[in-house]
Amino acid sequence: MEKAIERQRILLEHLNPNSSNSVFSSSHTHQSTDISASFCSAGETGGSENDVVIVAAYRTAICKAKRGGFKDTLSDDLLASVLKAVIEKTNVEPSEVGDIVVGTVLGPGSERAIACRMAAFYAGFPETVPLRTVNRQCSSGLQAVADVAAYIKAGFYDIGIGAGVECMSQDNISRIVKTSSKAENFAQARDCLLPMGLTSENVVQRYGVTRQEQDQAAVESHRRAAAASASGKFKEEIIPVSTKIVDPKTGEEKQIIVSVDDGIRPNANLADLAKLKPAFKKDGTTTAGNASQVSDGAAAVLLMKRSIAVQKGLPILGIFRSFSAVGVDPSVMGVGPAFAIPAAVKAAGLELGNIDLFEINEAFASQFIYSSKKLGLDPTKVNVNGGAIALGHPLGATGARCVATLLNEMKRRGKDCRYGVISMCIGSGMGAAAVFERGDF
Amino acid sequence: MPVFKTPFNGYSVKFSPFYENRIAVATAQNFGILGNGRLHVLELSSNPSLPITELIAYDTADGVYDVTWSESHDSVVVAAVADGSVKLYDLALPPTSNPIRSFHEHTREVHSADYNPVRRDSFLSASWDDTVKLWTVDRPTSVRTFKEHAYCVYSAVWNPRHADVFASASGDCTLRIWDVREPGSTMILPAHDHEILSCDWNKYDECIIATASVDKSIKVWDVRSFRVPISVLNGHSYAVRKVKFSPHVRNLMVSCSYDMSVCVWDFMVEDALVSRYDHHTEFAVGVDMSVLVEGLIASTGWDELAYVWQHGTDPRAS
Repeated sequence: MEKAIERQRILLEHLNPNSSNSVFSSSHTHQSTDISASFCSAGETGGSENDVVIVAAYRTAICKAKRGGFKDTLSDDLLASVLKAVIEKTNVEPSEVGDIVVGTVLGPGSERAIACRMAAFYAGFPETVPLRTVNRQCSSGLQAVADVAAYIKAGFYDIGIGAGVECMSQDNISRIVKTSSKAENFAQARDCLLPMGLTSENVVQRYGVTRQEQDQAAVESHRRAAAASASGKFKEEIIPVSTKIVDPKTGEEKQIIVSVDDGIRPNANLADLAKLKPAFKKDGTTTAGNASQVSDGAAAVLLMKRSIAVQKGLPILGIFRSFSAVGVDPSVMGVGPAFAIPAAVKAAGLELGNIDLFEINEAFASQFIYSSKKLGLDPTKVNVNGGAIALGHPLGATGARCVATLLNEMKRRGKDCRYGVISMCIGSGMGAAAVFERGDF
Repeated sequence: MPVFKTPFNGYSVKFSPFYENRIAVATAQNFGILGNGRLHVLELSSNPSLPITELIAYDTADGVYDVTWSESHDSVVVAAVADGSVKLYDLALPPTSNPIRSFHEHTREVHSADYNPVRRDSFLSASWDDTVKLWTVDRPTSVRTFKEHAYCVYSAVWNPRHADVFASASGDCTLRIWDVREPGSTMILPAHDHEILSCDWNKYDECIIATASVDKSIKVWDVRSFRVPISVLNGHSYAVRKVKFSPHVRNLMVSCSYDMSVCVWDFMVEDALVSRYDHHTEFAVGVDMSVLVEGLIASTGWDELAYVWQHGTDPRAS
């Protein structure tokens, strides 16, 4: 019987690739109960055909609002370019797409939803493919991807696109003018009206983040983004967009192709950043240099059931494992990732230590630093290709943009990088996070 | 094309190098975990619509994990047996005289056997006791034991050109290249991060070797520049159990996997997967390509079935 158990163990090791190097340490200790347990989990991790997988994730370049390459490009054109890309790169029949969900924040709700629907037509989708928008502020792009994943999981359709678009050249962040007088009596409701910059200052005060730490994070973001851009890492995820731009001096209109992020400053340094004045509060520490840039951009992610991807022979870039949105105190809304990440990781049945790579949105260096420190994250695993301070933060697109950046980096890292997390804070006090598993690459 | 039902779970299948219609199938009871084994020698009818017939079968007291045909005698086969023995059978002799030899030196399961195709006088056995042994038919004991691997050796395969060179694939995540004239291995390739279950040499380029791993991938290596693989073939969704180069087409190879499929690959093109055959309903663990009939493939699996079919056709179509 001893022999049979040992044979069973050797064969089960073949089905449980996770225990690769444990074969030596465990070679003479075995329990039959453990053996059958690992057999089951192998079935799960080996890929269930009900998994929701990502087969394509592309973004436009991210450009400085009002000054960058997309300053004269409208949201429908920007969105159409990425919707078209996910279809063209995979040869999926557009009519097979069950729904398109687009995260978009600043544009007026109904008008923007119509512009997005028009974008689907420009991209070659037939009238039969529906579209809707979603607005969960800065996590809208990730929310769109999570919504599509959930709908596929629920069986509402098998193939869907989660996307995001933001044209901050066209749409400004505006203050809410009218609210109920009740707000006076609800401190937290009142805090929802705080400008985001002030919530950053609140994080600084409450949790003690220094100006220098923030500027240092900004320098690191630019340095990493510049290195990634220079080494061509973003080429795999960026779709070049042909568009027009108006020369501000001559008023002349030119046709250009935008394929590079234009907000990255490779020479960003502490000395220069230290000179910047606080942007939100006289004695504050949040500056234009250590906060995310105001940008234009779009991204799209094509999701489907694993069985459909296999049937179509499409390479699996990643597997959508879990999503969590949580609420936090609106006056320090930036702490969102510190609460959303543990929730999403737990929902995926994992522990923080299992995560090999993080994309955490750098809305403000203050909240990014706080969240990373609070969770005790290894800085070499977080925003390895820079974040929103260097690349920019086109609000509605950022979540979907991060999917493209994260999954391509996981693909490059290969076997050593199995799980990745995307997270961001959300205006009015929330956080969102999602866990992805690397695909077949 | 025909199919043959074996009473036990299939473990390995090999085409005879002498008769185009003859195959040997190694099988083991209860998935090879506990019980007897049986070695089948099967005869394909010249008419593909007729069933496969059994020429003879030999019973063993433990599972048969692998089989290899003699390259010098058309009637001799070597069986790798789970009780640690290596047994020789001569089909030309009466059943009572068989097995003609039984070598019992390995202290654990013997997982593979491979007959030297160049010198044709010796064969290798690879065992879960971490060793590879070299044997000749006429000696009562092994000629040599190669002990360097740190875990089960799943496969040891002769180079098709060099009579003294062979490769071994192990669960210690390395592939080793040996020259029997040398005291130790001549090359160590840390080919995968997970166990390596199989390896095979290219039949047209003696420097090219493929490895199949628990990591679901097959890697193709040039032993002259072994730091990076020439090609990594992804497509199996579970451990790849066996890999085999085509005897007829330089870049073609076949593999079988715990994902129950048999795949044909062209390792030099970007979309390497040429065909996927899903005829098995349990782990596909044995596969071979005929040397005598181009494109003829045989496979066996834990579904107790052995299939023989022409590449490009449906194995289940009869």
